[in-house]
Amino acid sequence: MTTLDSRPVATEVKDNYLTFTRGLLSWIFTLDHKRIGVMYLFAVLGSFFVGGVMALLVRTKLLFPGKVEWMTADEYNKAFTLHGAIMVFLVIVPSIPAALGNFILPIMLGAKDVAFPRLNLFSFYLWVVGAICAVYSLMAGGFDTGWTFYTPYSTQYGAGGTIPVLVGVFILGFSSIFTGVNFIVTIHKLRPPGMTWFRMPLFLWALYATAIIQILATPVLGITVALLVIERAFNIGIFDPSMGGDPVLFQHFFWFYSHPAVYIMILPGMGIISELIAVHSHRHIFGYRFIAFSSVAIAIFSFLVWGHHMFTSGQSPLMNVLFSAITFSVAIPSAVKVFNWLATLYKGSIAFNTPMLYALSFMFLFTIGGLTGIPLAVLSTDIHLHDTYFVVAHFHYVMMGSALIAMIGGLHHWWPKMFGVMYNEFWGRIACALVFIGFNMTFFTQFMLGSQGMPRRYYMYQPEFQMYHHISTGGSYIMALGFLITAIYLIHSLFAGKKAPANPWGGASLEWQCTSPPPHDNFSTTPRVGDCYDFSSVRWDEKQQGYVIDTEAHVAAASSGKGH
Amino acid sequence: MLNMIPTLLSQATNDPALAAGQPVTPKTFWLPEGASTIAPEIDWIFNFINYINYFFFVLVIGIMLVFMWKYRQRGREVYARGPNHHTMLELGWTIIPTIIVVFIFFIGFKGFIIAKTVPDNAYQIDVTAAKWYWKFKYPNGATSDDLYVPAGRPVKLVMRSEDVLHSFYIRDFRVKQDVVPGRYTSLWFQADNPTEGEDFHHIFCTEFCGTGHSDMNRKVFVLPESDFDSWVVEQGRWLDKVTDKDLWWKAGPQLYRACASCHTLDGSVGTGPSWGNYDGTGDVWERTKAGSTHKIDGGKNLGDIIGSGKEYETPEGYLRESILNPGKHLVDPYGNVMPTFKGQLSDRGIQALIDMMKNLDKFNKDGTVKPDAIPNAGGAAGAAK
Repeated sequence: MTTLDSRPVATEVKDNYLTFTRGLLSWIFTLDHKRIGVMYLFAVLGSFFVGGVMALLVRTKLLFPGKVEWMTADEYNKAFTLHGAIMVFLVIVPSIPAALGNFILPIMLGAKDVAFPRLNLFSFYLWVVGAICAVYSLMAGGFDTGWTFYTPYSTQYGAGGTIPVLVGVFILGFSSIFTGVNFIVTIHKLRPPGMTWFRMPLFLWALYATAIIQILATPVLGITVALLVIERAFNIGIFDPSMGGDPVLFQHFFWFYSHPAVYIMILPGMGIISELIAVHSHRHIFGYRFIAFSSVAIAIFSFLVWGHHMFTSGQSPLMNVLFSAITFSVAIPSAVKVFNWLATLYKGSIAFNTPMLYALSFMFLFTIGGLTGIPLAVLSTDIHLHDTYFVVAHFHYVMMGSALIAMIGGLHHWWPKMFGVMYNEFWGRIACALVFIGFNMTFFTQFMLGSQGMPRRYYMYQPEFQMYHHISTGGSYIMALGFLITAIYLIHSLFAGKKAPANPWGGASLEWQCTSPPPHDNFSTTPRVGDCYDFSSVRWDEKQQGYVIDTEAHVAAASSGKGH
Repeated sequence: MLNMIPTLLSQATNDPALAAGQPVTPKTFWLPEGASTIAPEIDWIFNFINYINYFFFVLVIGIMLVFMWKYRQRGREVYARGPNHHTMLELGWTIIPTIIVVFIFFIGFKGFIIAKTVPDNAYQIDVTAAKWYWKFKYPNGATSDDLYVPAGRPVKLVMRSEDVLHSFYIRDFRVKQDVVPGRYTSLWFQADNPTEGEDFHHIFCTEFCGTGHSDMNRKVFVLPESDFDSWVVEQGRWLDKVTDKDLWWKAGPQLYRACASCHTLDGSVGTGPSWGNYDGTGDVWERTKAGSTHKIDGGKNLGDIIGSGKEYETPEGYLRESILNPGKHLVDPYGNVMPTFKGQLSDRGIQALIDMMKNLDKFNKDGTVKPDAIPNAGGAAGAAK
């Protein structure tokens, strides 16, 4: 990471956060939210690479319906478990809040840092310790329980690395909680004068709603994995019926966290999309309050629907009926957001920059992901579809096609801000197209696989499914190529990228009003706040090759109510 | 809503979907063939939701594409004016989807109640799941590895697991239920059309259960009711089908399971004397054949009653008596606690047990046959010769 300091661009600007202090130690002990965000970013992207390699291994095995020489059933089980656990706990949960959120949130607020910088650094090192536990578990025999750790398999059987990875998940949970605490306090206490709740960028509403879930749900995950470790290590019967426990109780505990966790993953993504669509359409976001409140509504409803993961578990039919009914309540705020984004495109001036292409991909993929949730929420059809590839396809459309695509869109949106360089726009668009095509090939076929009855987590399968698996695996290779190109041009831009202007896209929120990359303290004086979706005072500046904002007019428009 | 459940239940039992003679619905782009009476109901809901989804997908993506084209950025013009909000529009796209999903919930709910309401005359089959096989047990005690069911009759499966979670799934019947250790779960279905010849429906395990998870699939054969009745009787006579030379390892261990709770194989103390060597007179066959000093009847030795001219001409005769009339001779110091197996065990069954005793060295201590001792399976193939 220190190599960043040698970029020619950084030497031109005296005081930016990358050059403010130098040396490895200045990164290891940094309290700067931007550096912590960058460290998170590279850690998360590194984990994404490992999780992605696991996915490719799984997909490659599935080219063949029978046994293969080079991968046993146990190795396959470990590969998909590792893929799921890494992607959930090390990648998607921390990706947007901890990496992008850490960097952008205080700047969007015009603050110098988050409320508790030391806690912020601590949460990063908790993430590192959690990741080390996961690596250690691989050396201790790996784990093959699926990322859901269902009992009694996980307590009575399961490979030797199960306890270390559970300890890792426990620690990662605290990393997530501390980030949530930090963000809630920061948003409450560090907003600049003039930034009322309804003047906040929608990304911050989304991060705020996410932080509430992180704080309220994650402790339950911690308790649950702690109980699992106790049962496995000391043979105390909590979930195992042979010792008087109840395996369905584990599922309740697990999904009480893991369903809200789905929204920990998708809500920040939705926040990014609100920013991307407004900025790249150069047009005021449509239905600000409905989008803001729908984030809060999703956060609340997310706690009431966990039982829809358990329609076939043996829980009572009455519970199934109640959970099915409540589940539909989550569909409404999600639909409201999509309609509002659509309406934001209306009469916009849409620039098809790479971040916007990702945002439009998100709309396409999230629409499919959301709609295919309906037959899974409906009781009678879920009985057929539960634990088949239909579920796999559905949650990949939501977790990857939506949450992760939003994260990559946000990364491209804020990359010039984070590192002060522009990436190659041409290759950005090519890569986005490859990812989009590859993604749909990979996962749309899995809807058919699932509704035709192919169960998930299968090492071998009926030959009738092979054609779908071939298309799916082919798609995953195309997607991998897209991500590879992305990695290449992003890394290339760090060394040889064109210098980024302060405001390359024409945004009006505060992060575009400091230099790229931002100075150590973000703002030398507390910035004045207008309506962050009022683009009437934003103009293209030929000399800077970027946009400039007339702050006086911008603030005046907001206080006169014209911007709204 | 809850007080509607009884109404729906009564409707469910009169539902036309349950009428006999449902034809098998063919495989479509989305769904596999539907071979149970509830499949048409579930398929109808699935397809109905699909059409709603197609509509909304085309609507959203269509509008998106039109806007993308119409409102693409031209030149460097930046600021675009458009409405910021529209309350009626917002309320409209909140309320209309709400009405649609409430409706979808109710049709799904109704289908679920039908799928959950077991008809009174259901034929019960007990299912045991274990890593990594299914075992089916019929009311007459017959067992099978694949599932055989009568056509045109509701079948209820009562399921338990011996180890971890499993999930029982017959995709062509649209039924699925987790099988949970420590409790019984159940599901039911009715298949009206017999499977032809080699045809069958797949059973898949759909809850991850370890190494052999994807091997845990079996077949369902639907037989015409009269064929099924004779099949299940035949299956109950499994013992007759085992050839004489295979009795010792195919039938013996199966029958021994009933003995195992009292008679160990490793010489350790149980409710009854171990079949293994526990007093230095050899295992059960050796000590009986040798007419050994093994003490019975408060002082006599086995040797006093077995042998030519004595009470039992052959050791087999003594063992047979001990199974059918266990109280006649009591091994010291055991009391008279064993029930008689008269009427429960045929002569052929007794033969199987005695054959097993004769080959006790080829068994593991848990009563399973050692793999390398199985005839024609390699290893000590000569065992049965």
